[in-house]
Amino acid sequence: MGKITLSQVTKSFGDVQVIPPLDLEINDGEFVVFVGPSGCGKSTLLRLIAGLEDVTSGRIEIDGAEATELPPAKRRLAMVFQSYALYPHMSVRKNIAFPMKMANVPEDEQARRIESAAKALNLTDYLDRKPGQLSGGQRQRVAIGRAIVREPAAFLFDEPLSNLDAALRVGMRLEISELHERLATTMIYVTHDQVEAMTMADKIVVLRAGHIEQVGSPLDLYRAPRNLFVAGFIGSPKMNFIEGQTAAAHGAHTIGIRPEHIEVSATEGLWQGRVAVSEHLGSDSFFHVHDTGLADVITVRASGEIGFRHGDTIFMTPREDQLHRFGADGLRL
Amino acid sequence: MSTKASRAAARLMISPSVILLLGWMLIPLGLTLYFSFLRYNLLMPGDNPFVGLENYSYFLTDPGFTAAIWNTLALVLGVLVITIGGGIVLALLLDQPMWGQGIVRILVIAPFFVMPTVSALVWKNMFLNPVNGLFAHLFKALGLQPYDFLAQAPLLSIIGIVSWQWLPFATLILLTALQSLDSEQLEAAEMDGAKPLSRFWHIMLPHLARAITVVVLIQTIFLLSVFAEILVTTNGGPGYASTNLTYLIYVQSLLQYDVGMGSAGGVVAIILANIVAIFLMRMIGKNLEA
Repeated sequence: MGKITLSQVTKSFGDVQVIPPLDLEINDGEFVVFVGPSGCGKSTLLRLIAGLEDVTSGRIEIDGAEATELPPAKRRLAMVFQSYALYPHMSVRKNIAFPMKMANVPEDEQARRIESAAKALNLTDYLDRKPGQLSGGQRQRVAIGRAIVREPAAFLFDEPLSNLDAALRVGMRLEISELHERLATTMIYVTHDQVEAMTMADKIVVLRAGHIEQVGSPLDLYRAPRNLFVAGFIGSPKMNFIEGQTAAAHGAHTIGIRPEHIEVSATEGLWQGRVAVSEHLGSDSFFHVHDTGLADVITVRASGEIGFRHGDTIFMTPREDQLHRFGADGLRL
Repeated sequence: MSTKASRAAARLMISPSVILLLGWMLIPLGLTLYFSFLRYNLLMPGDNPFVGLENYSYFLTDPGFTAAIWNTLALVLGVLVITIGGGIVLALLLDQPMWGQGIVRILVIAPFFVMPTVSALVWKNMFLNPVNGLFAHLFKALGLQPYDFLAQAPLLSIIGIVSWQWLPFATLILLTALQSLDSEQLEAAEMDGAKPLSRFWHIMLPHLARAITVVVLIQTIFLLSVFAEILVTTNGGPGYASTNLTYLIYVQSLLQYDVGMGSAGGVVAIILANIVAIFLMRMIGKNLEA
């Protein structure tokens, strides 16, 4: 129903190639997240799939059928935009009905689908309001409702949660995940927030400058990042990278160790440093350690009970089995 | 601005401008009202007796009055339809990316900078003149009889001239409105399967509604008082065929030196303008809210 295949797809704006040749397969029913820093081409890639941008070369197939030249409306994809892109002069009901009205769906069928979408998204009481009278989360749900009623082959989300406040974002994240479980439709989700990527995805596609750096399940990426970029991008706080002699001792150009894989102690350990900033979250504490002689700053994560303060001396021991080793070319050894 | 003292200070500080504006408007209005009740003709010096509504009854029963009312309405409506229709088309075209966009936009705005008298003269002598005008040459080149626009279709010609002047204004306002439309909305509509025409009808036009309202309101105010174009081209003629209310008042008061009659005409014009304004606000004013 919603298998999407990109083969050798490129995109140039003038002389600038933003997407170098790229291959990607998205299976039916998968929740795929494109993640990467801003300007990495993830939104462009989504718009290529949507048909809002023309590919410069290459092929896009949807369900095995050539879709490269198809106009957006014919691709049976529904998109949820970052700004929600609701039609401000139409009521919620009319917004949701719009794609069906354009497709000449019979009135009673329209009403039925609006009813069920509104029920699923808790919008029943708001159907006659205008988008301007809704809160951010409600607008987001209307945008999703407008996508659902088209019964598309796949949903495309373009940073849909970036305009919401933190609490709402967590809630909507759950709702979208639940929606995916219920509909079992392919979803492609673009975000720069790796927490969203980790929590929602079946498959994460990490992009940098249009290149796919790695494709895999969230835990694959966390446990075995293919290169330094993925290692640094996935995981929060970031992985620590250490070069020089310490790395050479492990037979690598760079070694990486995640903050949560370092044991801390006030009295003894492999590495020594001075705490510069400590962040206490209650459940966890993060310490930013300077003067280790290894890197500018080493971040460690410890349980919330451990309290170091600014200027304290701290001893750290990395867990050997959790060390990531990278060669001089940045690739995993 | 919420303490008593600051509000009092604010009132004190804006009072000079309010008083000035009030004086500016109320004194002429009061004098006009006062003159409209007097027999006050500059050709008949002497005392100016109070004559009640005599001026009004003469003005309203003037053979040109009914014609002037209809001409005024036809002029306003005609120009509004042409400028808004044409303005939307031009705005849509100018919004497309194209070579030389900046220059084209300036050219489109240019007619608005030409003063009404000059543009009317240019039109009268260079385009509409039945002997030397460009249109006359065009007609002759096609083997047709030259058409004397200002004599045969005076009101339509003036509507054309005034539309030419106001088209840039409408285009400019509508273009800026069009540019403020969120492109994601158009893309969403495209994804939703809307063809270009439905995108225009369902997304762009509702978005333009407020700008169109502004254009209608502002243009109506100015179009009710079109004068220079008529004076320069047709002098209100032939007969009363192109006399609007403003021009009729000019004829009554200045050509006949009748201050009382002119003032009465002015008051009638004020009342009519307000009736039009009330209708406009009723019909389209709600677009300006929210």
